[in-house]
Formats: sequence, structure tokens, C-alpha cells
Amino acid sequence: MIRLHDVSKSYRTHLGQREVLRGLNATFAPGEKVGILGRNGAGKTTLLRVIAGVELPSTGRVERRMTVSWPLGFAGAMHYNMTGADNARFIARIYAKPVAETVDFVREFADLGAYFRLPVKTYSSGMIIRLGFALSLAVDFDCYLVDEAIAVGDSRFAARYHAALTERQARSALLLVSHIPDVVRSYCSSGAILDNGRLTRYDDLDEAIAIYQAA
Amino acid sequence: MSDATIPAEGLGAAFRTQLRVIGALTLRELSSRFGKENLGYLWLFGEPALLGSAIGAIHLITGHTMPGGLDPAFFMVTGYIMFYLLRGVINRAPGVIYGSQSLLYHRCITLFDIILAKDLLETAATMFVMALFLGGCWLILGKRPAHIEMVMWSMLLMGLFAHGVCLLLAAASIYTEVFERVTHLFTYLTMPFTGCFYMAFWLPTDLQRVALWNPTLHIFEMMRYGLYGLSVPTQFDQPYVLGWIVALNLLGMAALRAARRHLVI
Repeated sequence: MIRLHDVSKSYRTHLGQREVLRGLNATFAPGEKVGILGRNGAGKTTLLRVIAGVELPSTGRVERRMTVSWPLGFAGAMHYNMTGADNARFIARIYAKPVAETVDFVREFADLGAYFRLPVKTYSSGMIIRLGFALSLAVDFDCYLVDEAIAVGDSRFAARYHAALTERQARSALLLVSHIPDVVRSYCSSGAILDNGRLTRYDDLDEAIAIYQAA
Repeated sequence: MSDATIPAEGLGAAFRTQLRVIGALTLRELSSRFGKENLGYLWLFGEPALLGSAIGAIHLITGHTMPGGLDPAFFMVTGYIMFYLLRGVINRAPGVIYGSQSLLYHRCITLFDIILAKDLLETAATMFVMALFLGGCWLILGKRPAHIEMVMWSMLLMGLFAHGVCLLLAAASIYTEVFERVTHLFTYLTMPFTGCFYMAFWLPTDLQRVALWNPTLHIFEMMRYGLYGLSVPTQFDQPYVLGWIVALNLLGMAALRAARRHLVI
């Protein structure tokens, strides 16, 4: 389970202190699939980064009682001068996974062909997203944090990813942030809205989407 | 701290995770810096070699000699290899975090791990260059260092000293870009004072006392004791050097930990 205790995050800017998250309290249980809806600039990406521990909250704390992935999205987590295969080896080492199996799995799942042996900087953005998902699935986290990106990968990959996540339904939790209700609907079973730095949970996803669209 | 990596399994597990991460980071750094597609390792040897030949040539042409009858090229090259370590670690410090942001997506990797892996590798690589150079001198010129283990120990101390400074500069770089601008300038300006090209006994007695406040001079003197033994006078105080190293590293780790909260990735 993941618990947010009074989590706030603010950034220092030239216009003064900007508070992006304002005292969030929430609990995400194992296996839960939560779609977090929010407009552009609502703080969705910041929220994922804080939950993942990439950035630390300004005040409050994040309690993690399950393994949590890095935020999966357009960028980050990979070394662009290294090949896809070398990235897989590195991820295997830091997360204590068997190296050969991890490389095989990532090659298979990311489906990059010859590009798997080339530096990530030569990849298209779709390929980078595929590699990122494949790496995270290879580690086998209890909870996946996903930042819109699913909608960007091509439909063939989206279907495979959907299948892979569904297969883990019982044990893997998913926190998906998006501003597109349809994306949330296809992956999640409950919803939340992030607005003005505050998070509101809804057990009924349709209710969350209705409120989000009405606002 | 519940910001920790994996659900708390005690100190032993955390320590093993950190060792594993540092090992993986070192391997990664090794292939990106010294891999076959990168000639970075050549310069590790090339720069001291070029300097040594140039200095040797100048001294040969001018017929200039050194205090204590030391061989100028040998003196300069060994001094420069040690300086190379100090400079390499410190110059990289202000950009080290910015250049490693993608690593911080993985919660188990800390800023400290990233910097330690880089600095360990830099230290090991420079020690290797020194060993090769001394080995070559021994084989070709029959010149054998008096205490090779003292040379290597002094290099390890220099690596740890520079690592402490690096931690502080890296922490400061989260708040300001100033150090990115002035660090290179600073390392070049202080080069003559570090001890790489002079020895304490060359100075008048009262100047020696002032110069020996500088911890890097002690480390260079240690290296020279290792190279020359008792054939030249050296002055160093190991507890003084260790004191600096412990203080810099503790301050550096505390600063880095405090600054991490303000790091925007």
C-alpha cells in the first residue's frame, strides 16, 4: 500500500513560491487501478514524481509498503548514450534481477529489432516508451506509475501492455495520470481528480469522469 | 525514514542494496567512459605523458636541475598524475547531478551513490596510470619506488579528499550555478599551491609552516616519500589529512542530503 501523509510540494520560481500540491492525503491499496484525472498543469506529473520518490515532498511524507515503479512516461529512467540492451543490464543489476533473463524479456517485449543494440538516443519517441515499459515490467513492481504515455505508444503495443498489466491484475496496482477520460476508462477501475493542488478520490470511476468533464 | 527504497528490511538489507547499486553504477561508468567506442581512457595516459615529455625536454634544453637533484620529468609526471586525480574529481562536481538526472528516476540510487561510483572509478583509473608509469620506469630505467604502497595509499587519500570536496560542490550546485563557472578557474589557479610541482623542503622554514596548513601538500609529500623514501626530506601528518577527509565527507554527505529535497528533476 502507498500512503500520502499531508504531502505538499512547492517550487521556487521567479514569480515566488508556487504550490503545486497542497496537503494531499490518500491511500492506494495493492492491486488497485486508479485513474487520476487533471487538466494540463494540475500537478499530475509532480504527483507521480513525488509518489515515485524522484522528487521529495516539501512537507509531509510518502509511505510505501509495496515496491513502486519509477514514473513511466516520455522521458527519464534511461541512459541515452547506452544501448537498449545495456540499459536492461543496468536495470537488472540495480533491482537485483537475473541479467540474462531481464535482457531477453526486454528484447522480446519492447520489440525494437536491431535498435535494441543501438544507443537509446537513436530511438523514436515511441520506441523509447516501449523500452521504458518493457524495463519496468521486467523488474516486476507491485505498483506501476504511468504518465499518459500509454496513449502515445502505437495500438499494437498498447494492446500488449494492456494484456501484460491485466495478467498481473491481482498483484500489480496502477496509478495512471491523464487528462483524457477514455484512456483512464480502459485501464482503471476507480478514479481521482487532481485540481488546484488537491486530490479527491471516487470509488466509482464513472462518477469521477462525469465530475471531471462537468468542471 | 519511509522515503526509503523498498519496504524497510533493516540496515543490513539497505547496506547490501547500496553496495549493489554502487557496483552497477561503477560498471556503467566504466563502459561509458572507458568503453571501446570512447577514447577517453587514452587521454588518461596521454595527458601526463605529454606533460612529462614537454617538461623533460625543457629541462634538457635549458640544462636546469631541481633541488635535491631530482629528475625533473619523473617529478613532474608523478606530481601531475596525482593532480589529475584531484582536478578530475573536483572539476566534474558541479555538473555531476545535472548529468545524472535519469539515474534519479530509480529510488534506490542516491546522489551519494552516483558520485561515489564516479570518484572511485576516477581514483582507481589514476592509480592504474601511476602503477603503469612506475612499472615502466622500473623496467626501463631500473628506477624503483621506495614504498609503492605509500604511493597508492596517498592516491587513495587524495581520491577521498577530492570526493569530500566534490560532495560539497555537488550539493551547492543544486542551489546555484556559480560553481559551474568558477570551479575550473579555481582548480587552475590553485594548481601551483596544491603541492604537485614543489616540495615543502624547497621553502624557507616559516613559509613551510604556512604551506603545511594545506592538506593536499601533505598528500603530495606522502606520495614523494613513497617514491623517494628517505633520500629527500618529506613532511606530512597523516592524522591531519584524515581529519580533513572525515570532516569534508561528513559535511558533504549532510549537505547533499539537505539539498536533495530541493532538487528539481
